[in-house]
Amino acid sequence: MESIKNRYAIVGVGESERSKNSGTTPLHLALDAARAALNDAGLQAKEIDGFMSYSENDSCTSHQLATYLGVRPKYVKDILGGGSSTEMLIADAVGLIESGQLNTVLIYRSMNGRSGVRMGGGGWDVNMLQTAIEGGSFIIPYGAGSPAQWFGLFATRHMHETGLTEEHLGHVCLAFYEHAQRNPKAYFYGKPLTMEEYLKTPYLSYPFKKHDFCLESDEANAIIVTSAERAEGCKSRPVYIMGLSARQCVSHAHYWNDLTEVAADYVAPEVYKMAGVKPEDIDVASIYDCYSWVVLRQLEAYGFAPRGEVGNFVAEGNLRIGGKLPSNTAGGMLSEGYTHGMNNVLEIVRQVRHEYKGTVRQVENCEIGICTGWAGPDMAGAMILRN
Amino acid sequence: MGYQKPIPLKTQDNRPYWDGADRHELILQKCNSCHQYSHPPGPSCAKCGSSELSWESQGSDINGKVYSYIVSYRPFLPGFQDDLPLVIAIVELEMLPQVKLIGNILQCSPEDIEVGMPVKMVWMEIADERSLPQWIQL
Repeated sequence: MESIKNRYAIVGVGESERSKNSGTTPLHLALDAARAALNDAGLQAKEIDGFMSYSENDSCTSHQLATYLGVRPKYVKDILGGGSSTEMLIADAVGLIESGQLNTVLIYRSMNGRSGVRMGGGGWDVNMLQTAIEGGSFIIPYGAGSPAQWFGLFATRHMHETGLTEEHLGHVCLAFYEHAQRNPKAYFYGKPLTMEEYLKTPYLSYPFKKHDFCLESDEANAIIVTSAERAEGCKSRPVYIMGLSARQCVSHAHYWNDLTEVAADYVAPEVYKMAGVKPEDIDVASIYDCYSWVVLRQLEAYGFAPRGEVGNFVAEGNLRIGGKLPSNTAGGMLSEGYTHGMNNVLEIVRQVRHEYKGTVRQVENCEIGICTGWAGPDMAGAMILRN
Repeated sequence: MGYQKPIPLKTQDNRPYWDGADRHELILQKCNSCHQYSHPPGPSCAKCGSSELSWESQGSDINGKVYSYIVSYRPFLPGFQDDLPLVIAIVELEMLPQVKLIGNILQCSPEDIEVGMPVKMVWMEIADERSLPQWIQL
């Protein structure tokens, strides 16, 4: 297969309402997001022949969604997964379109992430957790049952090795909270954050305070992928996929063995190579931000700042609109909302097609954007998009 | 009141480790092909995929140093509410630095914990004939 660079595009994005208590089902949320994405693209539901979703057993099925859009699709797929799944399903969609099996694919993530099944909400059966989580019996008996704790173990070591400080974590939060103040749909719109407030907030799990955690939200997002040829007939301005690395894995890094490498270290060269660009060519970014620290480690991995200098890079305000690498410009998962990364994909599409032109939300002259998806130090995916 | 926290579940992949812990002995899985230690243990070697595995006793006198840590101020799992703040650490073994174990540093305040801190393994009796490897500051 030849390079797929610039031959596929995202032609529609859409979301449901975002809340802490939707009062409705993931199927209703998914329908809202799918209709919004169809409307954005100017497509009829019947023009979608593939439906895909990812979930943690907390969603509706692609089959259900297609059914209630009145479509009999040729293809449905539901995978288990969190961060980096958006990139993986886009890669799958591209492969299916490339091989002539499908024309246009709708990918969604729908969840009652706060009022329904909560990732960090507790209430889990501890014996179930020991068997469900890889190596579970070596962490659960020690009280390490939350992703915040696992990511914290990586963060503390990385901070120790590179001199990153709590203030550097704070700069990530401050930049994204600042962006949320420009986004009326962000959950923390109207709730700005200062460094003083950040530093005086008590720890939930050192080194993390509440601002370092992503939100738990009820919401659905959808995106529509098709060929560049077919994209020309859509209502929206297509955003072309320059480079894509679906999902790479690092064996057994998740809990403790080698905290110096993360899967993003392996994804970065591949995605830049396919796209034919360098980190300095990137104008805008969506960096997977389940925790503030994850952003710092990825900035290293994707070559935006050398190891040991990431702290200065963020302290200089480079993640803010107006900085060198405006990132998570809708507020990110820390302050806009949380759908295991898909809301960050929606935002990068909107930025690259200059949807906010004339407002304070638009990153000026942004032609190329990167979106990184990361489920943990053990797996990652990313894509580079252009106007 | 008995022990309220989760008790390690023995499975076909980890049983020798936890049986060893119950005898106050550290038993690690080792690959006969690439000669690397596998922790956590698994159905085959996570480094090379070989299923030629053996179990090796490291004895009962285990020292290490803190490789990384967090301090939990919330009980993310049931049973830990009386142990806050709870120090959860990754400990690098002194004689096998390539092996790292997760555990709690007992009787350690958040002010005292730091990367590199020397620690010693202790076995905490948690149920009839069940013990949990833990760590105290040396």
